[in-house]
Amino acid sequence: AAAAPGKKITARLKRTLPVRGPQAPTLSELMRWYCLNTNTHGCRRIVVSRGRLRRLLWILLTLSAVGLILWQCAELLINYYSASVSVTVQFQKLPFPAVTICNINPYKYSAMKEYLSELDKETKKALETFYGFSEGKSKVRRSVDDWNSTGSDFFQQIPLLKVEDFFRTATELHSGQKRKIEGSVFHKDSSIVNSGDSNDIIGFQLCDANNSSECALYTFSSGVNAIQEWYKLHYMNIMAQIPLETKEKLSYSAEDLLLTCFFDGLSCEKRHFTRFHHPLHGNCYTFNSGENGTVLSTSTGGSEYGLQVVLYIDEADYNPFLVTSSGAKIMVHDQNEYPFIEDIGTEIETAAATSIGMHFTQSHKLSKPYSDCTETGADIPVENLYNKSYSLQVCLHSCFQKAMVDSCGCAQYAQPLPAGAEYCNYKKNPNWMYCYYKLHEKFVKEQLGCQQICKDACSFKEWALTTSIAQWPSAVSEDWMLRVLSWDKGQKLNKKLNKTDLANLMVFYKDLNERFISENPANTLVILLSNFGGQLGLWMSCSVVCVIEIVEVFLIDSLSIVLRRQWQRAKKWWRGRQRASAPPAAQGQGQGQHNPACTDEDLPTFTTALRLPLPRDSPLPRTPPPNYSTLRLETAFTEQLPDTLELGQH
Amino acid sequence: SVKAGKMPEGEKMRQCKQEEEQQQKEEKREGLIEFYSSYQELFQFFCSNTTIHGAIRLVCSKKNKMKTAFWSVLFFLTFGLMYWQFGILYREYFSYPVNLNLNLNSDRLTFPAVTLCTLNPYRYSAIRKQLDNLDQITHQTLLDLYDYNMSLPQRDWSTSSTQRRSSRSLLSHVLRHPLRRQKRDNLVNLPGNSPSVDKNDWKIGFVLCNEDNDCFHQAYSSGVDAVREWYSFHYINILAQVPDAKALDESDFENFIYACRFNEATCDKANYTHFHHPLYGNCYTFNDNSSSLWTSSLPGINNGLSLVVRTEQNDFIPLLSTVTGARVMVHDQNEPAFMDDGGFNVRPGIETSISMRKEMTVRLGGSYSDCTEDGSDVPVQNLYSSRYTEQVCIRSCFQLNMVERCGCAYYFYPLPDGAEYCDYTKHRAWGYCYYKLLAEFKADVLGCFRKCRKPCKMTEYQLSAGYSRWPSAVSEDWVFYMLSQQNKYNITSKRNGVAKVNIFFKEWNYKTNGESPAFTVVTLLSQLGNQWSLWFGSSVLSVMELAELVLDFIAITFILAFRWFRSRQKLSPPGPPLNSQDNAAFQDEAPALSAPHRFTVEAVVTTLPSYNSLEPHGPSRDGEVAHE
Repeated sequence: AAAAPGKKITARLKRTLPVRGPQAPTLSELMRWYCLNTNTHGCRRIVVSRGRLRRLLWILLTLSAVGLILWQCAELLINYYSASVSVTVQFQKLPFPAVTICNINPYKYSAMKEYLSELDKETKKALETFYGFSEGKSKVRRSVDDWNSTGSDFFQQIPLLKVEDFFRTATELHSGQKRKIEGSVFHKDSSIVNSGDSNDIIGFQLCDANNSSECALYTFSSGVNAIQEWYKLHYMNIMAQIPLETKEKLSYSAEDLLLTCFFDGLSCEKRHFTRFHHPLHGNCYTFNSGENGTVLSTSTGGSEYGLQVVLYIDEADYNPFLVTSSGAKIMVHDQNEYPFIEDIGTEIETAAATSIGMHFTQSHKLSKPYSDCTETGADIPVENLYNKSYSLQVCLHSCFQKAMVDSCGCAQYAQPLPAGAEYCNYKKNPNWMYCYYKLHEKFVKEQLGCQQICKDACSFKEWALTTSIAQWPSAVSEDWMLRVLSWDKGQKLNKKLNKTDLANLMVFYKDLNERFISENPANTLVILLSNFGGQLGLWMSCSVVCVIEIVEVFLIDSLSIVLRRQWQRAKKWWRGRQRASAPPAAQGQGQGQHNPACTDEDLPTFTTALRLPLPRDSPLPRTPPPNYSTLRLETAFTEQLPDTLELGQH
Repeated sequence: SVKAGKMPEGEKMRQCKQEEEQQQKEEKREGLIEFYSSYQELFQFFCSNTTIHGAIRLVCSKKNKMKTAFWSVLFFLTFGLMYWQFGILYREYFSYPVNLNLNLNSDRLTFPAVTLCTLNPYRYSAIRKQLDNLDQITHQTLLDLYDYNMSLPQRDWSTSSTQRRSSRSLLSHVLRHPLRRQKRDNLVNLPGNSPSVDKNDWKIGFVLCNEDNDCFHQAYSSGVDAVREWYSFHYINILAQVPDAKALDESDFENFIYACRFNEATCDKANYTHFHHPLYGNCYTFNDNSSSLWTSSLPGINNGLSLVVRTEQNDFIPLLSTVTGARVMVHDQNEPAFMDDGGFNVRPGIETSISMRKEMTVRLGGSYSDCTEDGSDVPVQNLYSSRYTEQVCIRSCFQLNMVERCGCAYYFYPLPDGAEYCDYTKHRAWGYCYYKLLAEFKADVLGCFRKCRKPCKMTEYQLSAGYSRWPSAVSEDWVFYMLSQQNKYNITSKRNGVAKVNIFFKEWNYKTNGESPAFTVVTLLSQLGNQWSLWFGSSVLSVMELAELVLDFIAITFILAFRWFRSRQKLSPPGPPLNSQDNAAFQDEAPALSAPHRFTVEAVVTTLPSYNSLEPHGPSRDGEVAHE
């Protein structure tokens, strides 16, 4: 009575749930069924073809088609992230870029006297001792005399040296005493161009203050370079101690620098220029900086409609050791961009009219995954120290400055100050120079990781500049022009202007077309899918449905068959064990059962499909197997085909 | 219908030992390739098994004529449409379209090679002996034509008499090509200086004749050009005669380059190589050896090359070197410096700051664009020892043509094997030949511009310059003093004696303009497959089916014909009846074919009644799978 409801349930299940598992009992049967019914081309032919060679050929063809599909689709995938470039040229009213103008000399030498007098004295003395150069004999003599009284000991820390005996000994600048160069010496450069006599080699030595055996020796083949480098080193130390407001006062004012200004055919004034203090170039003035929200634009190309300024370069007030060339430096840049004028500024000559023609190009790249660039720089783990938009240069300099503050404890003079740090000077950080040179060397060798962290910006604007120069003012106009300009300059200047104090600059658009280079994805998802479809269709006339079909047949169904096989094997093993424990009489019962090849291939029934345990060898009388099976000769088994044999034996 | 094409393999798996013997028989019976016994069978098989969509309807709906007609129209229409599309696709593919790629590379920039030349080939004092006669003649000519008395440096009268003799022969050669005034319209030579000439009507030039007195008039509108050209023409001839021209020049690096710095470090002696250019003089190429190249770590003026150069011209050849300063050229390593192509001059007394922007162009070679990878496929021998560039090729091409046509090599270009430099003592008419060839070369009659293809990979440096006065008035004193101390620079002309050059990268990254194929084989195949699927729903495998059909058709035709032929032969004897003849030829194979095959299957089914009937079973679709 208990069995009855269970049977009823199974019967109902059988009716309502047609889940019977894969129809085929074996893998090969499943394959055959699949091949006959699939929509994929080729497979059916394997089954229906007659002749072994023919079948083999079709198997090969189908497999090669599958291989080709896989290969070609892989190619499509690999090339998916490619971009194509489009160049558009637009004619429009172009916004005028910001133009930053600096005097090459940062600060008025006359105003700097009080800060630099000691350094200058020292330099003159060096020139005299090493080269026998003296401009005013008496002056230098005096400076030598009162050298000891000034007692600035930090010049003595890093004196100029004359290197002798293959870098073993060096003569010091002041005392004239020879000293041995000890410790590990590394040179910026060891072999010298003018290797004739080693007397020419001048340099200086930077030592680690904590560990005096760690030294770096810098040598220069040319005395000019040596003096300038050495001067610059001390100059930066001095300048680092002066507060910014004082420095701005020491440098040129807008009235000093700009004599006349003309833009787009109209006169412009000092208020169109924004002051910007550059650590190495002093006060610079940016025209059209966009500070008050308006960006000027030009309506017409050509030199008449650009920016025209006459600059006053007071050559007599130049620092003779810091800068040796005279003129101005200008840079054309975007309003949001920081002008790295010391690196890429263009020099303007005095006593000449320089025309700079611009051609504007804007580029935009696709960011990830097409290329490794950054849109805003927000994803770069380096704090932007400049108050301007991201660029690779900004990132590199910020990264270096950060590393400098971390390892040397103070900030380098030429770059902006991070929060909470202060500029290096050897009163507070006596060790900074050695630290800086070490760090810079690391940076150049890409050991700081800055080059790895910083990425390119995705969009950038550039102005290609073409420079041409003419003599200005001309011989006949020189006279009146200088007179008028001197008058303009006003009473403040009581001397007459010299033509080498003036520079004329014109910055203009050569043409008003903007070249816009942008990248577009060459592929879209639609194209990729349609190409996939094409490949599948071309070789096998396959579709997504057939891919699903393949998954179903080759994965799910095959797996279920294999599992079933395993289950049956386990079951059989279990049964065999039971039988072994049971009385041997039971064995005689199933007479026809001794055909392993046949019994093994249990066809799927509902019970096996549902993984229900088969009923034990029920005592119920089963129909005895047909007799003729027992009549079979044993030889039939010995010659079984390998695959059936395999199936049967287990 | 499935049964007809049944595969014995399946049976083998399914059947139990009862069929074992039978199976093995069948195995034996299945041939390597089996053929159909008749066309009908073949087509029936094809119709029931093909995967081409339209074809089934066309071939297999034979019964209904209307339907057949409809489907054949449809078939050919789609066929036409597909091939129209195919045509479009092929045309697009074979136009080899390219995508332009823009890459910004920001790896370490290798600094390019920089060549500086003195702008004066030889020190005048060293070469005066050779040029003495030419100068005398030029002096005379200038006096004749322009009434200008050029002050010649005091002649060294101690030159030996042999020198005099050789110079006399030179004189005759020079006088063969005198500088003359010509009337602009009709080329009538006017002997001497006639005062009545109107300046606008006359041109100055010289005449070059070949052996047959066919003359070539080289005329110039400006006297300065004419004198220079004429002078340098003779200068080349004289140089070609000097056996050891190399001995005349002395590489004097220290006297030309006073200071050299790169990336804030002093330059190495090993960083430059020297060569001599017959017009531009001693040239020093920095950063040319490929072993240790300079790399710029950062852009900017401090990280570039900075040179102080002597530009004084107290020992210049007066008629040849008319420019003062120095000539600078930026080029790629392993490329010869063609100073007259890409160089520019540096002004004395000025600091010239040259900012570079590197740009690389990479073209796709092959069928995409007409460029060459390494020049090996260009039919011009490379006379330079450097890498292939277009300029190298053009010059080599000209030189080879020159040797071929004129029998001697032009002095400014390298010497091909077995040739010698032109010199009018040996090759009397080379000047005529040269100028004729030059005109042909420029009109591309020689085909040099056609033959020389652009290299696929090109590196360009876009330069822009800024100038400032150097040294400034206040630093002038000590700078000059230092230079005089260290470099033995005698301060005669001060400002005009030195110049400073800075060469540096403007940007840290460089642009690469690349190309990539826009339409590859993969996309072409995808597109073809798309079209094919769209119109036919067929694939390459379907085509193979069709090919199989055709092959089978041919095979069956042969077999039938053969059988018919044999039956004809047998027919002359009594012979079997015609209808049983079908299988006659296949006697050995026929049992494997459908009829007996089908029979065995039925026999199998019938031999298992007891098994099947005892259990409830759902026969599978094929009707062959029996459940236990």
